Amino acid sequence: MNMNLKKDAWMRSITIGVIAIAVVAPFMLFNLYLLNLLSLMLIFIIFASAWNLLAYSGQGSLGHAAFLGIGAYASTLIAVKSGISPYVTIFLGAAVAAFVGILIGLTCVRLKEWFLAMVTFGFAIIVQTITVSILTPVTGGWDGIASPRLISPAIPGYQMIEYYSILAIAIASIVFIWYIMKSRIGLAFSAIRENELEARAAGVDPVRYRLLAFALSAYVAGIAGALEIHHIGYITPEIFGVDLSFWPITYVILGGLGTIAGPVIGTVVLTVIWEGLKMAGFTFSRYIIVGIILILTIIFLPKGLVDLPNQLPKWQEAMRKLRGKITGSPEKE
Amino acid sequence: MVQARQRITIHPSPFYFPATDYLTGEDTVDVGILLQILFWGIYAGCIYILLATGLNLIFGVMKIVNFAHGEFLMIGAYVTATVFYFTGINPYVIILFSMLALIAIGAVVERLCFRPILGTGKLNEIFLSIGLIYIIQNGAAVIWGDEWQSVKSPYEGITVPLGPLTIPLDYIIIMGVTAVILVGLYLFLKETKTGREMRATSQNRKGAMLVGINVERIDVLSFGIGCALAAAAGTLWVVSGQVFNPYMGSIPAVKAFAIIILGGLGSIPGAIVGGLLYGIAENGAAYFLGGVWKDAISFIILIIVLVIRPTGLFGESGE
Repeated sequence: MNMNLKKDAWMRSITIGVIAIAVVAPFMLFNLYLLNLLSLMLIFIIFASAWNLLAYSGQGSLGHAAFLGIGAYASTLIAVKSGISPYVTIFLGAAVAAFVGILIGLTCVRLKEWFLAMVTFGFAIIVQTITVSILTPVTGGWDGIASPRLISPAIPGYQMIEYYSILAIAIASIVFIWYIMKSRIGLAFSAIRENELEARAAGVDPVRYRLLAFALSAYVAGIAGALEIHHIGYITPEIFGVDLSFWPITYVILGGLGTIAGPVIGTVVLTVIWEGLKMAGFTFSRYIIVGIILILTIIFLPKGLVDLPNQLPKWQEAMRKLRGKITGSPEKE
Repeated sequence: MVQARQRITIHPSPFYFPATDYLTGEDTVDVGILLQILFWGIYAGCIYILLATGLNLIFGVMKIVNFAHGEFLMIGAYVTATVFYFTGINPYVIILFSMLALIAIGAVVERLCFRPILGTGKLNEIFLSIGLIYIIQNGAAVIWGDEWQSVKSPYEGITVPLGPLTIPLDYIIIMGVTAVILVGLYLFLKETKTGREMRATSQNRKGAMLVGINVERIDVLSFGIGCALAAAAGTLWVVSGQVFNPYMGSIPAVKAFAIIILGGLGSIPGAIVGGLLYGIAENGAAYFLGGVWKDAISFIILIIVLVIRPTGLFGESGE
């Protein structure tokens, strides 16, 4: 009990510390490249958290870029056609993504893990194909279309305003997901994930909750997509690419699957590594290193970096035993 | 992140180009065209069949899902191209070399990556495959560069007239090679002791252990053979003159998955039927709907089938 309280207090101070750093960071940097990077990182934290929410209900999607892209396209098109501010259309676009999420969820709810992975992967490709074929008159096909900026570049210091807007939305999204995970809904999600039969016996309707997970996750992913596109100012069908579907998975696995802090830690750590390697002049080998990190994490740290404090003593213990074995000294407890 | 998006993109399926190459300029649909589409479908299906059979073998024995299977096809293609470049021997002979090389690579991958996580949950295998995809694709890009490449077949330009069709000789050889490989695999599984042990392991792993079968050896072997089948597919891809690059493997691999879902898990006849069906459906879609629909159509079929039958067309348990 005491331990838990102590841990909670720790967590609270760490959270406040991280938010404080995020708030003052732009004043320390004075560098537009890094500021842009921070904004994108925040957007990817939202995206990874959205993927994480779906995985929390036991459904691992391989095509989450579909929702990212649908949110982005919907928000852009609404903003362009009606002239409403992107601040409003972000949430409208995300609602469209959530609606599509429910539709694809309807086909997925009865499927096992990797059938679902296949369908979601294929869904991203189908959406991309539709975007560049039937919907070309609206979406501009492979060339893409310009998207209104979140803040007009005419305003001085617009990058700062944009950064703080994204930060606010990111914090709101994480709090939203945290609230869901801690509520009855989150409890139902993890019950379904652990054992569907028992969950059903306890009165949890798996189909309904899986659909809900799809809708919520698609909504948050749609917000991330719309934010990214309004931040960059241009959208192409590349947003549906395999690459963008795989990144959130890498981030979440590294940070810790099914936790609130996992996506945040994973995204920050991997972005720092990624940019560090870029500065060191790596190109293709960056991906190789990310792949090795991912595989090592899955094998040796299955619960992600969040679990590192618990794992370290075990590793030290194992190392000590190993050393004891080599030198032949008797083990003492 | 953003820079990353420009690196890996979905390239148009390489199967795209035979259809357009041969078909543009035709403005009427007649029986000849339909037969031609059918024939290209069978030819494209051969590569899917080999991929899907390999996946089926691995899934049957180890019950794991390797989304990185297409990367082995890509390595097979590059091994063939490299050996051909340095020695100049007939690429159809190199198929043996690339299969042997991929057995070794597959065994290493199984030992280092998949064995530690065996039995820790289905999602882990999917995530691990993503790591493998990153490593293998970009490893190949470091070694061989990331441009599209192609190899000239020794029989290029030779065609065989067959009724209203003119069929490139390469296609006929490819179908023959595929048939030989499948018959060989069938005999191996049916007649040899190792093959019987493999089937026993896939039917009941614990039971196989009880009667003294070394299941870990069987795991390594079946993973290696699965990879070798992918390598054969890669070689056939190269010799038929199609372009390849380090990122070509993902889409065919995912389609191979769709095929084994349709054809039933662990069923090799199902994989053959599914592979042919997919090849034909794709080429038909590319002709009648346009090239961009080529990849999407396979997943539309998959989703429709799964909506009707969540365990696949012939799947009984669905695992």
